[in-house]
Amino acid sequence: MASDVTGLERLEDRPITMSPAAIEEEFTRIWKETAAAGADEASVRLRTQNFVGVGPETWTVERFERVMESLPQRHPCRSVLAVISPERSGLESSISAHCWRTAAGGRHVCSEEVILKAGPADEHALASTVLALLVPELPLNVWVIGPVVLDSHVASELIEGADIVFVDTADAPDVAAALRAALIAHRKHNVAVCDLAWRRLAVWRSLIAQFFDGDDGARRLSQLRAIEITGGGAVSSEMLLMGGWFISRLGLSLAEAERDNTSLTATLYDGSRGVTLTLKGGPEQAAAITEVKVRTSEAEFIVQAHAESGHMHVREEWPGDSDHRTVAQVPTDDASVVAEALDDASDLPIFIEAAEAAVDLLRN
Amino acid sequence: MTMAEPAVNPLRTGMRLNRAADPCAVVVFGATGDLTARKLMPALYNLARERLLPGGFSVVGFARRDWTDEQFRAAMKEGVTKFSREPLQEELWESFARGLHYVSGTFDDAQAYAKLAERLAKQDIAHGAAGNRLFYLATPPDAYAMIAQRLGEAQLATPQAGNWTRLVVEKPFGRDLTSARALDQSIGNVFRERYIYRIDHYLGKETVQNIMVFRFGNGIFEPVWNRRYVDNVQVSVAETVGVEGRGGYYEESGALRDMVQNHLMQVLALVAMEPVASFRGDAVRDEKAKVFHAVKAIEDVGRDTVRAQYSAGAIMGAMVPGYREEQGVAPDSHTETYAAIKLEVENWRWSGVPFYLRVGKRLPKRATEVAITFKTAPLQLFRQMGGDNPTPNLLVLRIQPDEGISLRFGAKVPGTRSDVRPVNMDFRYGSSFGVEPPEAYERLLLDAMLGDSTLFTRWDGVEAAWELLTPVLDGWADGASPIKQYEAGSWGPDAARELIERDGREWHRM
Repeated sequence: MASDVTGLERLEDRPITMSPAAIEEEFTRIWKETAAAGADEASVRLRTQNFVGVGPETWTVERFERVMESLPQRHPCRSVLAVISPERSGLESSISAHCWRTAAGGRHVCSEEVILKAGPADEHALASTVLALLVPELPLNVWVIGPVVLDSHVASELIEGADIVFVDTADAPDVAAALRAALIAHRKHNVAVCDLAWRRLAVWRSLIAQFFDGDDGARRLSQLRAIEITGGGAVSSEMLLMGGWFISRLGLSLAEAERDNTSLTATLYDGSRGVTLTLKGGPEQAAAITEVKVRTSEAEFIVQAHAESGHMHVREEWPGDSDHRTVAQVPTDDASVVAEALDDASDLPIFIEAAEAAVDLLRN
Repeated sequence: MTMAEPAVNPLRTGMRLNRAADPCAVVVFGATGDLTARKLMPALYNLARERLLPGGFSVVGFARRDWTDEQFRAAMKEGVTKFSREPLQEELWESFARGLHYVSGTFDDAQAYAKLAERLAKQDIAHGAAGNRLFYLATPPDAYAMIAQRLGEAQLATPQAGNWTRLVVEKPFGRDLTSARALDQSIGNVFRERYIYRIDHYLGKETVQNIMVFRFGNGIFEPVWNRRYVDNVQVSVAETVGVEGRGGYYEESGALRDMVQNHLMQVLALVAMEPVASFRGDAVRDEKAKVFHAVKAIEDVGRDTVRAQYSAGAIMGAMVPGYREEQGVAPDSHTETYAAIKLEVENWRWSGVPFYLRVGKRLPKRATEVAITFKTAPLQLFRQMGGDNPTPNLLVLRIQPDEGISLRFGAKVPGTRSDVRPVNMDFRYGSSFGVEPPEAYERLLLDAMLGDSTLFTRWDGVEAAWELLTPVLDGWADGASPIKQYEAGSWGPDAARELIERDGREWHRM
């Protein structure tokens, strides 16, 4: 299947002030000019979704642009970035088209991008412009970039009609508040919420689940004694969500939890069996998980990430015996994580349960 | 043996796979051969790097060459380096290669199988393979029966309680109906049908699987997928390559055995089968078998089939020799490099709709397509108004390369007249999904380890295909449809054109 991308081109990128209708006209002009310029090459405008980013200007544009460099090649879209900047007044827009060439047929495939910037006074105008630019009959996926602020006017308007709302609780200064905001948005708008911090755990969850497959796995689960999750920095949303995943999937009850700046220890119960959950941070800045250890009464299972090689090490330690293997880490950049989530959103209900359990851990 | 459903793992909820493959040992017979280096080992390596293989996974290569484990690992590393779709990464390879082992022996040597059994028992302890075995026959077909027999004698074919043993067999499964039945019986004496996985790598291709998604995952196509609306169906496989140094093998095979009996018949079945209620168990294979049994026997081999050989010609600007001039091919060979067949599926859905199959080497371009031509509108309204006669709607499912789907329909040419011009609505996988699909062997090997036989062929389907095509082979041997010549770089012999034009139709232009 032809996925080879031989180049990325931007057809147009200049600030313009205009209405949604004028933006559409400008796109039409670009496509006509493109077709006339490259008469010997076919160009296809392709859109399988609306992908809208919302956030503060300081870091939004760069992060969104990085995602747009590769996401459309996997999920062609009309993308719209809505930026609210305190220093700005009025509404400004710029439009561009990202094009790439597929190996088969050598044709250009293009996705459209609109960036809208507005000051706080123009929030309503901004929201209505974004809504007018959405391609009808296509899914609407909204990425709230930066701190998880889901109750701004623009975010609320978009979330109301969204299929999936992306957030990243790792960006939030207050993880508990961010998780709670995500849960409230899910309940209030009946929308699927995808936390990029949660999706970055997918490979960890899959490797850990492997230990407990089949009849032998079921027996091991019944012997579970301790879970230890280690990360580089403070107790992060990823560590909390991993803990919350164990708690919610295994139906464990929380008896008590103690925490300080860099660690959290919880005692959990499944009937009469006690399970200890430890989240251990470290002195580093990076908050990503570096190791998960699961201990049963017979064995220990360890998954470790090796940042330098980009690989993961999986070890099973039995009395007098051990096995280990190395597997590839999956890319954890925003574009890859969003693309994966759009490919398969079947774990989003599981996220909700894990987030609820994570919030509980922090409440105690 | 009936296996109970494995326990549900609560940690798997919401994941794509509801379980990983069980720890197992894959035993590859013919481990020093081309298929192992080109396809099997790169597929296993990629499954390992994508975390789809379980802990306790190992491979034992079995072949005649007197190799050590280290020599086997080195040869496989070379194969993976050359043929893997993802570049080899040293650390991942080292981890994977620790599970590679080798046993030297000939396929008929009972002692070698005892050695193999001993090695597997050791590996169960060293790697925790838990006694699960997947035997893969990557050998010439004439070794299949012998290997199965020796596995049985060495007690390797019978799983221990709670374990599984499966046998993967490459095509071709027999040379004709008689030899296929004999082979089935030989293997069946040792392995039960449900543990035999006959591989047809076409079924592992994403776009072949997409035929089912297209038909049964959309509401608008199934209502017109029948004799009332479809005029004819064409399944075409065009190759630009010749026999590529495999003249000796091809002389014994030919296009009908090599492609039609397996790949094309499987594609035909996916196009013609009834919808399944689920993908559980044997549902898909049951429906495919019904199609095979509904295909009408070819009564006139001379009329409904064409066979031909390529002569010297030019392919993409380069001169190429004729088939009879290829190495390993007899100068008076009658082996066909091109075959075209007209079939009819006699059931309520398809009665009266011809299915044309064609396959050929040294054709102008490489393409595999299913073309479904619909009947024209009942009233030629626009011809009466002075416009053109609209060409029939055509749906093309492109399997390779440039995978995709296109639908041809008529549209009005702008202007005051009612001119109608055919236009195409085109979907291309490469444009819409920028993700690299797994190789067919990755999907099929993983399915075999998971015990999912949906994408493997079942004996009743294989037997029905041979029942249908053996009379064609017999007819050809008796001189019906004498072998024709076609120039390399052309679209096949005139006789193939005549076969379809006789019905007032023409081959879809690829």
